[in-house]
Parts: sequence; C-alpha cells; structure tokens
Amino acid sequence: MKRAFQVGLAVLLFGLALYPTMASGYGIRFMLQLFMWVALAQSWNLISGLTGYVSFGHVAFFGTGAYAAGILVTTHGWHWVPASLAGGVAAVILALLIGYPCLRLKGPYFAISMLGLNEVMRVLVSYFEGLTGGGSGLSFPTQPASVQIYYAMALSALAVTGAAYFIITSRFGLKFMTIREDEVAAEAMGIDTARYKLGAFVLSAFVPGVVGGLFARDTGYIEPISVFALIITITMIVMALFGGKGTVWGPVLGAVTLFVLQELVWARFLFFYQILFGAIIVVVVLLMPRGILGVLQQRYHLPRTI
Amino acid sequence: MQTRPILEVSGVTKRFGGVTAVNRCSLSLARGKIYGLIGPNGSGKTTLFNCITGLERRDEGEVRFKGGRIDGLKPHQVARRGIGRTFQIIRVFPELTALENLLVVTQGPFEAARRRAEELLRFVTLDRLQNEYAGNLSYGQQKLLEFVRVLMTDPELILLDEPAAGVNPTLLNELLAAITGLRDQGKTILIVEHDMKVVMGLSETIFVLDYGEKIAEGPPGVIQADARVIEAYFGR
Ligand SMILES: Nc1ncnc2c1ncn2[C@@H]1O[C@H](COP(=O)(O)OP(=O)(O)OP(=O)(O)O)[C@@H](O)[C@H]1O
Ligand SMILES: [Mg+2]
Repeated sequence: MKRAFQVGLAVLLFGLALYPTMASGYGIRFMLQLFMWVALAQSWNLISGLTGYVSFGHVAFFGTGAYAAGILVTTHGWHWVPASLAGGVAAVILALLIGYPCLRLKGPYFAISMLGLNEVMRVLVSYFEGLTGGGSGLSFPTQPASVQIYYAMALSALAVTGAAYFIITSRFGLKFMTIREDEVAAEAMGIDTARYKLGAFVLSAFVPGVVGGLFARDTGYIEPISVFALIITITMIVMALFGGKGTVWGPVLGAVTLFVLQELVWARFLFFYQILFGAIIVVVVLLMPRGILGVLQQRYHLPRTI
Repeated sequence: MQTRPILEVSGVTKRFGGVTAVNRCSLSLARGKIYGLIGPNGSGKTTLFNCITGLERRDEGEVRFKGGRIDGLKPHQVARRGIGRTFQIIRVFPELTALENLLVVTQGPFEAARRRAEELLRFVTLDRLQNEYAGNLSYGQQKLLEFVRVLMTDPELILLDEPAAGVNPTLLNELLAAITGLRDQGKTILIVEHDMKVVMGLSETIFVLDYGEKIAEGPPGVIQADARVIEAYFGR
C-alpha cells in the first residue's frame, strides 16, 4: 500500500516534470497556478493546521513577496529567480517582526491581528508610491517565462509539502504540533513553545513570499488590491480545510479539487461559482471540519502522513 | 553534613484579583523523599504547583531549585532544569499517538528514547495501544500516559497533581509501586492527592494547605491527629 503510493507519487512527479515539453501554453499556465495554490494552502497548513494558530492574513506574505520581487526586478534589474527568493526573505522578515507580538495572542485575536496586518501592508504599499507605484501598480517588462515559472512554482509546492511531511513524521516536527495540541502541557514538558511557534510562522511565510514573486512575474502586473486580496487568504484556507488541515496531503487535495472546479465552473458561470464556493465553505465548516482526509483518517485509522 | 534541600519555596504568595490563592507559603523538600500536599478544594494546591513550575508568576516570595532561583523562569526553562509535573485535569496531546506523546518530549538519541517509551508504555499496559491517538484512550489510560510522559524527561523533582484519580484499582497499586520505585532511584516527589489512604501511605512528610496558607507539616500520623487539619477538613 505504502509502496504503491510511493511509486504512484514518483510516476506523477516524473509526469509533471515532463509535462511542459508536451503541453499547450494554456495547460502550462493552468498547472503553474495550480502549484501556486498548493503552495499557498500548504503554507497556511504549516502554521494553522499544524500549530493551530489560524492566520486570516497569510496573503500579506504573498503580497510582500510580490512587491519585494517586483521592485527588485523593475527598478534594480534583478532576474526574477533571485528576486522571488528575495521576496521569500522579505516575507520571512515581516513574519519575524510581526510574529513576536502577534503570536502571544490566542485564538480569534491572532486571526484578526493577521487580518489587520494585511490591511496595513496594503495601505503602506499604496502609500509609498515612489517605490511601489502606489495604487496604479507595478508593471514588469516581461517576456513570457511560463515554463520556467512552472518549474519554480512546482518546486515551491514540493518544498512546502516536504516541510509538512517532515513536521508530521519526525520527532522534532511533532514538537510544533504540541502547540496545537496543548501549549501549556508542551511548555511544562520543556518545549520552548514561543520559539517553535515563531519557527513555524516564519516557515509558513517563506514560500508564500517566493510564490508571490513568481506570480508577479507571471502576470506581469501587480497592484495593492490584487496581491493583498482577502479572497486569496480565504481561498487558501478553504482549500486546506476542504482537503484536511493538519495532514500532509489534505491541502494538496483541497487545492487541486477546488482549483480544477474553479476552472471548470468559474470560466463559464462566475455567479454560480461564487455560490458554489460559499456552499463549500458552509459544508466544510458544518459537516466535515476535518476535511476529506481528516474524515477518512478518523474513520479508517489512517496515519496523518496520508 | 546537612545537604541543601532540592526545592525551597519561601514565602510565596499568589493572588487572583481579590482571592489570595497561595498565602506566604514555605516548603522545603529534601532529595529522595516523597511528600504529600493536601488541603480542601480551592486551598491553593494546584496554584502552588503552577508557581513552582512557572505557569503562574508568584506575586511575592521565591522558589529555589537545587539552590538556584527559578521563580521568574518560563515553564519550559523550569522543566529543563529538572522539574516535571502532571496535571489535575488531563493534558495529554490528544491527536498524537500514545507513543508520540512520549517521544515528542525527548531529545538526544532517538532509538534510546523509543526503547524507553516502549518500556514505559508496557509498564502502564498501554503497549497494545501505542499507535492509538491519546484522545481516544480512556480517562484512566490518559492519566497513566501523562504519568509516564513526565518520566521520559527524567526529572529530578516530580510534581503529581492527583495521579490516582480515575485510575482503576489494579493499576493503582502498580502506580503507587512506581512512585515508590522512583523515590528509590533518588527522585523527589510531591503529590497532591485527595485519597487520604494513598497520600498517607506514600508520603514521609505531608504539608497541609487551607485558604492558601500552610497550616501543618509533618509525618502522616501527626497530621491525622492535628486539630487544625481536622478542623480544616471537617470543622466547617
Ligand atoms: N486562574 C485563576 N484565576 C482566578 N482564580 C483562580 C485561578 N486559579 C485558581 N484560582 C482560585 O484560587 C484558589 C485556589 O485554587 P487551586 O486550584 O489552586 O486549588 P486546589 O487546592 O488545587 O483545589 P482542588 O483540590 O479543587 O484542585 C481557588 O479559590 C480558585 O478559585
Ligand atoms: Mg487542584
């Protein structure tokens, strides 16, 4: 069973690696956006699914990465690859600055503080026009680089899923999960919860920053309302919840299912898609708060590594 | 030569708003002995544990462990110095397995930790359930799991907050034997317990709290006959 899964996974990865050589431009851009959502949902899972600190403002890291990379590319002539990595670093710096005060807050207070962070970032970016172009946005002098961005997005999704796998399966990683399980007991057992929390937070910020930079390069144009959009946070949360937070593959499953659904339905029936999306949120919250994999896991006693 | 007490609590006071939960409390524990801490409900036993382990910050007084001040340290720092505790209200990690509950608190060589965890699970007859989520275990099983989890870090001083409550009678005897076994290995143990037979049987010295104040201290026989203690328990 495990063997079959590993073989299947290897074949899938191999297929995805070869995909750009035979796919259409549309196919490649579809897939790179899919990877982006996997990376975002999985990043959210790291802090919110595994350590239990629900972030309502994770798009702040995405937007910060997008702008950091955007500025480096447009005004400093950087190549988009190092610029996107720098976007990740910028997101990490923001996470360090904000994590220290915010992670002392519990439950809804932390969630709301993150929401506030995103609003503040959006306003700041709009305000410093000289650097960011303000409300009129930032345009990239782009030649399409979809294939390279496809691989970069895929690597990002893979890296953050690998991090989730490591956390869920290693003794060191389980320490992060004790924060979700019982922070007081973890402290009393000698686990420095403040440090692990900050670690998870920083880890969960890096990839969204990188992916933000890649997204900026891919679309060629960013503005405050597009990269600090609340709907991006909501979408990554719903994807992770739908597939199953706190598991390795839940966020992947959720992102793939909902993104494919979105492409199928949204393009044709925008209004219907919004209703469907809303309905999915309600169903997940009311009927299966553990998501698809969470439900299967409980019913069939599966390990969290599914 | 008089060796220094392993734990010295001097004049510790903790208030919650108008309530003085612990009032100028002083205790001194010698290494390698079992102590009992008793008192009516709400007399401050758990709060005193919290002040020792850093979960609550005392308002006054000081706590020394092996001679060094520990009041003011964070709970994980206190734990790292060698004080382990269990909780009155169970605090296992519900969505980690029984085995993971034990492994996660360890560092150092993994295989050694794993062997030790398996040995401890066998000891509390939870070995068959090692891959079960802790949250799915019965109350008594969770209580035992929490007890062995504290042993994983090999603390020198162990604070047990009602370890016997809810544990079935057959396992209870083993639990009591384990506690004396730990003492024989040189560990110091402070037990809060409502079951008088249990505390009186185990402890060499008992401290009695009432309204946050220590009203008596002594061997079980003396405590049972102490007028103030009898009044605290039955007099009102
Ligand atoms: N966090 C808190 N906030 C306010 N009051 C508290 C808090 N914790 C404890 N108290 C109060 O402090 C007093 C001592 O409580 P504590 O839990 O230490 O008693 P206890 O001796 O452990 O009781 P029990 O035998 O019922 O466990 C009680 O009056 C309790 O209501
Ligand atoms: Mg108590």
